[in-house]
Amino acid sequence: MNAFDGMITGFQVALSWEGILFVLIGVIVGTLIGMMPGLGPISAIAIMIPITYGMDPAPALVMMAGVYYGAVFGGSTSSILLNAPGISGTVATAFDGYPMAQQGKAGKALAIAAIASFFGGTVSVIMLMLLAPALSSVAISFGPPAYFALMLMGLTAISSLSEGSTIKAMIAAVAGVMVVTIGIDPQTGTQRFTFGNVNLFDGFDFLIIALGLFAIAEVCMLVLNRKNRSLSDDQKLGSLKVTRADLKEMSGPMTRQSFVGFILGVLPGAGATIASFISYIFEKRISKNPEEFGKGSIKGLAAPESSNNAATSGAFVPLLSLGIPGSGTTAVMLGAFLVLGVQPGPLLMTDRPEIFWGIIASMYLGNIFLLILNLPLIPYLAKILSIPRPLLISLVIMFSLIGVYSISFNVFDLYMLLVFGALGFAMRVFSFPAPPFILAFILGGMMEQAFRQSMTISNGNLAIFVNSPLPLSLILIALLSLVIPGLLKWRSRRKLANM
Amino acid sequence: MKKTMLTTILAASALVFAGCNSEESANESTGESGAFEPSKNIEMVAPAGAGGGWDTTAREVARVFGETGIIEKNMTVINKEGGGGAIAWAYIHGQDDSPYNLFVSSPPLMFVPLNGQSEYGHEDFTPLANMIADYGAFAVSADSEWEDLNDLFDQMKEDPESVTVVGTSSPGSMDHMQFVRIAKAAGVDPKKIKYVSDQDGGALTSVLNGSVDVFSTGVGEVVEQVRAGNIKVLGVTAEERMEGEILSDFPTAIEQGIDESFINWRGFFGPPNMDQAAVDYYEEKFKELSESEEFAEVRKKYGWNEMYLSSEEYEEFLNNEYKEIEVLLEEIGLGN
Amino acid sequence: MPLTINRRIALILFVIAAIYLFLSFQLPNYPYAPVDADVIPKGLGILMIILSIALFFSKAIETEAEKEKRNIPKKELLVLLAVFAMIFLYILLFEIIGFVIMTAIFIFFCSWFLGYTKWKSNIIVSILFPLGMYVIFVFALGISLPKGILPI
Repeated sequence: MNAFDGMITGFQVALSWEGILFVLIGVIVGTLIGMMPGLGPISAIAIMIPITYGMDPAPALVMMAGVYYGAVFGGSTSSILLNAPGISGTVATAFDGYPMAQQGKAGKALAIAAIASFFGGTVSVIMLMLLAPALSSVAISFGPPAYFALMLMGLTAISSLSEGSTIKAMIAAVAGVMVVTIGIDPQTGTQRFTFGNVNLFDGFDFLIIALGLFAIAEVCMLVLNRKNRSLSDDQKLGSLKVTRADLKEMSGPMTRQSFVGFILGVLPGAGATIASFISYIFEKRISKNPEEFGKGSIKGLAAPESSNNAATSGAFVPLLSLGIPGSGTTAVMLGAFLVLGVQPGPLLMTDRPEIFWGIIASMYLGNIFLLILNLPLIPYLAKILSIPRPLLISLVIMFSLIGVYSISFNVFDLYMLLVFGALGFAMRVFSFPAPPFILAFILGGMMEQAFRQSMTISNGNLAIFVNSPLPLSLILIALLSLVIPGLLKWRSRRKLANM
Repeated sequence: MKKTMLTTILAASALVFAGCNSEESANESTGESGAFEPSKNIEMVAPAGAGGGWDTTAREVARVFGETGIIEKNMTVINKEGGGGAIAWAYIHGQDDSPYNLFVSSPPLMFVPLNGQSEYGHEDFTPLANMIADYGAFAVSADSEWEDLNDLFDQMKEDPESVTVVGTSSPGSMDHMQFVRIAKAAGVDPKKIKYVSDQDGGALTSVLNGSVDVFSTGVGEVVEQVRAGNIKVLGVTAEERMEGEILSDFPTAIEQGIDESFINWRGFFGPPNMDQAAVDYYEEKFKELSESEEFAEVRKKYGWNEMYLSSEEYEEFLNNEYKEIEVLLEEIGLGN
Repeated sequence: MPLTINRRIALILFVIAAIYLFLSFQLPNYPYAPVDADVIPKGLGILMIILSIALFFSKAIETEAEKEKRNIPKKELLVLLAVFAMIFLYILLFEIIGFVIMTAIFIFFCSWFLGYTKWKSNIIVSILFPLGMYVIFVFALGISLPKGILPI
């Protein structure tokens, strides 16, 4: 069966009344859970598993898929409005989404996020449809050395993530990696910097850091500025009208980052969070006015939003075509398949084509539903910002506390949220940028593990990173991206001097 | 991506099937007559996030208990993730003699404390019953030149540096030690085994693309890949051939002349000082569950093997296992 | 050489890096990894020490905008401290007293403390928000939140 016949089968499933109904239920539940503090796709899927008991597998799985990408779609709302990411995949969304909302363009920011998500979701479904079987070889081509090189590539961008002092950005980044070394080291089982405290054995959850450094630190700033009136008094919430010029501006990043996000989603272990960061950096690096990033840039918002949604569909490639869950979320998704008596894997496409293609076809539908459902909601969501400052501050604090508590049900983590909140505030006050810290935290840990796995495999021989083409080319790209901007600067300076 | 994976898994530890409350473990004692009958909801802790083996077992057991009416009171599952189980174990340990707090566990209840990562181990809890058994599998890429375990182990004896084993957990834990146990019995120097841990879901990938050579994991993880012809299983740690399509094709280590096995047992425990009347009650109920048709269905669905052990048998089994693992860890210098 | 704010931060960072580095050297040895658990931390510690020295001797002068950022009146700092203290109390008590009651108390007092004077709407929000969250989490999603002393 080729992709075309497959899609016909798929649409027969997706466009049946059952298919439409369950896609709709899936995306609605997914969006709502995604908007809840701390609850992301994984809890959304796990919550829905018992509901599918005894259901026909095709509509049930179509619904579960809807829950998954719906949750990623919904996760951006609190990032944009409150600077409090509800899920880790939307931390980068806050970089430009929140400043935009603060400038009185909350409606527009939410609309751009919705459109970018829709675009990323749809483009990646097309790729999923055409390339799923072919891409399964990409999914398994990355070994530890290649992952190391990929993370290295991401880390070289640290300097571009901040303005002002490069030393301070570097300090923030090194501190981020220091924090990630806390916990039990997977390669040796050694406890590092845990002081024997069992709460530290697993290290810090990414969301604790993100909510602390962004949401709680922002709360502190709001407290200091609480006498400024709330936005609604002096500024309009802004229409959600996205102009043609806006669309034109976001079309480039959306298209590029849908591809980037999809490919990173395909790689086991990378996923939506890393994809959104890499896409953000990518766009900032190639942008003609990188100084706009972080201050409410449309590109800076569209890039991570299209990327994280594209990565979500990308994650279905190894799951559906190989039966390999590349992330915690797809691992739970795999569980949902098994409960329904469906084993994802290389044989799924031939054994159960109605499921394989039905899920893919339903994603087109789901993305359209998400856009149609979300756009009318935006004006109501944006009204959150017209809540008077003191009340809004209390509510954001609660949002962050519930978010962290529902991750682990561990009060210790709440204290840590407070600690990282204080750290985030101090960093703002003394002009240390937070994004390098977050980026280093997320890439640094994986980079260390990949490096040491590689070294064990090669018995300590560094040549493993240059012996095969994939890691070698990634490392070269990383080096070039460090050297080229410097060279360009040097050349233009010389030109100026010669004039 | 360790952190994101943890993030997502942790996020799901939120799950509880029905609204229940963890604080509610009053110290009601057993009835005057000496026989125990629960008078309120029972809390079942899965010491991990949603979706894993512990979680699935706990939820299926709770569901079948409810649906069959073997236990009439509600059994609610709560997830307590963290420290590879240590946080949940510390929590249960604090319940002292409550007959309403059970938890599900498996060999990590020994590995984690033996690696110095939990204050409490199996001897600190009251074993109620073991329910199922699972086994380890050693898989290699389909185009590997090794055809059986002996090929692999011969190569490891000759040139230990050329073979890397990958597992999901850290060294000294289950994936590592099940391999060490079988390899040692085959005459491989256990100190020369190269093991890497991949907790981000990349272990199978690394075997498929040739970065590493052997994948040490549970049999459930490999069946589909074997069916698709991507990998082959050189041996499993079961004592005799397993039943089932594909599964029955996997040769055991024992039939390849390596006299060693490893059982990934999974069973239920209560707090340290659980009353004997309550132990008897649960033991009986778990036995009934294990023999029920409904649970047989569940076992079939997940490919689990039946292995019921009563409280007493369980304790003895655990103590023997513990000693073996302790000696092995000591030998490779990871003992604590 | 005046002790500017950046120099003071550099000194603090130096001390933290030194402690981190010291702890890295205490990490136990694991016999089977060519790159052991202590290698990266040692590298990070040294890097941080170098960076803190670089920050200390860096010639960059604070811009006006940066100075403005850390110009916080003492009184405001106390307000912030009070908010942190309230969050701390919340965390300390909410598993015991229960989610709904503590959240209601927190929202009401925190908003009031920060200058929200419409006490009627304050009461309404502080009751409805926690109740709504509790209902959604516990009854709709089946995720337990501490109920504490309330018999829900």
